Amino acid sequence: MESLNPRIRLLWIAQGVLVAAVLGVVLAAVDQWVRPVPTAALGAVVALVLAAGTLYAIRLYQIWQFELQDDALYLERGVVTLVETAVPFVRVQHVDTQFGPIERALGLSSVVVYTAGSRNADVRIPGLTPDRARELQDALRDLAIESEADDAV
Amino acid sequence: MNRLHPLSAAAYALQYGFFWLWIPVVFVVVLSGIFDPIRAAWVPIAAPLGFLFGTAYGVVYYYRFGYEITSDTVDVASGVVARRDREIPYGRIQNVDIRQSVFQRLFGLATVSIETAGGGDTEAALNFVSETEANRLQAEIRRRTAEAKDRRRERKRDRSVAGTDSTVVGPEPPDVEEGDASVPSEDVSSGSDAERPPEAGEEPRAAEDGTRVRSRRPAEEPAQEGTTLGPVADRDRREDPTRHPQQQPLFDLEPRELLLYSFTSFRPAAVAAALFVFFFATETILEAFITAAQPFGGPADLGTGDPASYGILTIVSGVISILVTYAISVAYTFATYYDFQLGRVGDDFVYERGLLQRYSGSIPAEKVQSVTVTDNPLQRLIEYGGLWVETAGYGPESNGGSQSAVPLAKHGRVYRFAENLTGVETPSFESPSPIARRRYAVRYSLVAAAFVAIAFGVSTLTPFESWYVAAAAFLAVPPAAHLRYVHIGYYVGDDHLVIRSGFWRRRTTVIPYYRIQTVSARRSIFQRRLGLASLVVDTASSRSFFWSSTTIYDVDLEDARAVREASRERLQTALRERAEADDVGLSVDFT
Repeated sequence: MESLNPRIRLLWIAQGVLVAAVLGVVLAAVDQWVRPVPTAALGAVVALVLAAGTLYAIRLYQIWQFELQDDALYLERGVVTLVETAVPFVRVQHVDTQFGPIERALGLSSVVVYTAGSRNADVRIPGLTPDRARELQDALRDLAIESEADDAV
Repeated sequence: MNRLHPLSAAAYALQYGFFWLWIPVVFVVVLSGIFDPIRAAWVPIAAPLGFLFGTAYGVVYYYRFGYEITSDTVDVASGVVARRDREIPYGRIQNVDIRQSVFQRLFGLATVSIETAGGGDTEAALNFVSETEANRLQAEIRRRTAEAKDRRRERKRDRSVAGTDSTVVGPEPPDVEEGDASVPSEDVSSGSDAERPPEAGEEPRAAEDGTRVRSRRPAEEPAQEGTTLGPVADRDRREDPTRHPQQQPLFDLEPRELLLYSFTSFRPAAVAAALFVFFFATETILEAFITAAQPFGGPADLGTGDPASYGILTIVSGVISILVTYAISVAYTFATYYDFQLGRVGDDFVYERGLLQRYSGSIPAEKVQSVTVTDNPLQRLIEYGGLWVETAGYGPESNGGSQSAVPLAKHGRVYRFAENLTGVETPSFESPSPIARRRYAVRYSLVAAAFVAIAFGVSTLTPFESWYVAAAAFLAVPPAAHLRYVHIGYYVGDDHLVIRSGFWRRRTTVIPYYRIQTVSARRSIFQRRLGLASLVVDTASSRSFFWSSTTIYDVDLEDARAVREASRERLQTALRERAEADDVGLSVDFT
């Protein structure tokens, strides 16, 4: 089983910071327009969200694992609900590599695998180095082309 | 990497310019209300800055967008800051569409969209390229897709020859797959097809906004239109019984079954209809309620009355509303499923139904993903059930999802249908772990506790005082938990997985292994503590809003893992077998 790049924790923490910031602005707006909110309460809420977000990010990193097995891509992830998914290569429709602004700054990239399914139809593996993402994309593409199915659905 | 037509740069610049114009404006206005140093007077500066930024973004977007046709995939790379590199293997491409709006036609431009199975979105949209380039792309992708298919077929043949270790010397054994393999070779090699007249699989269509769409299935499948729904004039069907000469009738809904179906099923749409009527004529209806409640001791009018008479009014109007909604639901079901007929034409199931407006549709057998038998408590009481067929849909006019194949019939008949249709053996269901029942009891107790808490909250705000009466909700917890538990079951068959769950709307779904897309074992923190897992089996169907994915709830982790491994293995075996047998996998004898 392969783990993600440790830097992914920074991305997830950054997402937590973003949530905390939005929450802070919302509380400030409530303070301004609806009813006064004590600054200490505001700070406490923001700090709590930050702490929870950081713990969540660290735990998620510990849990996240994936593997290319002989017939399927296998993933384990999730803090609250642990999900183990197997995506057979025959079912892979197409493969993306993606990265957003924060991922780019951290030198990370994601691979997204699409199936024709209705739920879990796109499976994302975040936190890969760009080289590894490319490699995985190529491997998955070759495996998808090689594994034959008359109809993908 | 190829670029789009240079005019798209201008189009993107304008599009993003006007989009980004608003973002700083909204930001400044909102933040100026919250934080003092930011002032609303900055808007005239912020707006043009936003526009400029958007324009620049649009131009950069154009320069950063590339597409390429490689030997095994179509690649599309896009994104300015966030990047996306997409590779679509030819084998998975279902459709290549060329769209032209009025403006695009004026400038000789076109939008090419490439679709694969599943997913609502277009997988790759080239917005836009020149007309000649669009035609070239369509032809090229089609050629490569056909090649990919041929290669696959050859490999398969090689393998089967090697596998049987044939001693045949000389001419190749006759190709058993000829029927399927008849890709017209001259068609594949004839380069540009711009001048050729439209043919099957390539139909010019006019969308409502004057956009011209040309769609093409590159794999040269027979013109398979998925499910075509639409009103058919009743008299057409009646006067021309020879329209489907080879149609083989499979099921007719008898009047008795239609009535039973109408009275035992409930349509949520009826609630919406009743609410709509209520909002439309609120006053008249309120007056009618008051008049109806008066004989039972209701208030003389809305203004005067005591708590008791208001209570009576509430009860009377509640009963009337429920009855009316039920009546609407019955009428709606009756009109929708009146004279339902199911038949078979070639590889497709065709159905017809409707009283005021006849609907007919087809269910392509090769697109069938799973088959579901549904029933509600009332229907179970009289031992009836309905059969639904889930198909995968793609393309602009086909819609996947659930279609009713048998609205209602005796359980025995429905199960026989389902077994004949899929070839599944009669399942013997296994139950989830008994711990699950405890889990549901805890869950429903929490719901009951919340209910009591709400009642208590209401009692503090209103004259209503006996909130503890709500505690009666706890009495419903044990039966509710038990009923949920006993209606969960699963069966791991030779070629199929059968999954059952639900009390109010029990669904028994038969999924052939070769239709499985992904299998996931999910464990929430509570499930992990109890050593349970839920297994979610995803197929390309059931995309509908109301029907959740088929899930085996709360089995022991070991069992869940075993079922997952079994499904994976059997998917591979089934795919191999299918590749060898090359059949549709559905029995033709439905009855």
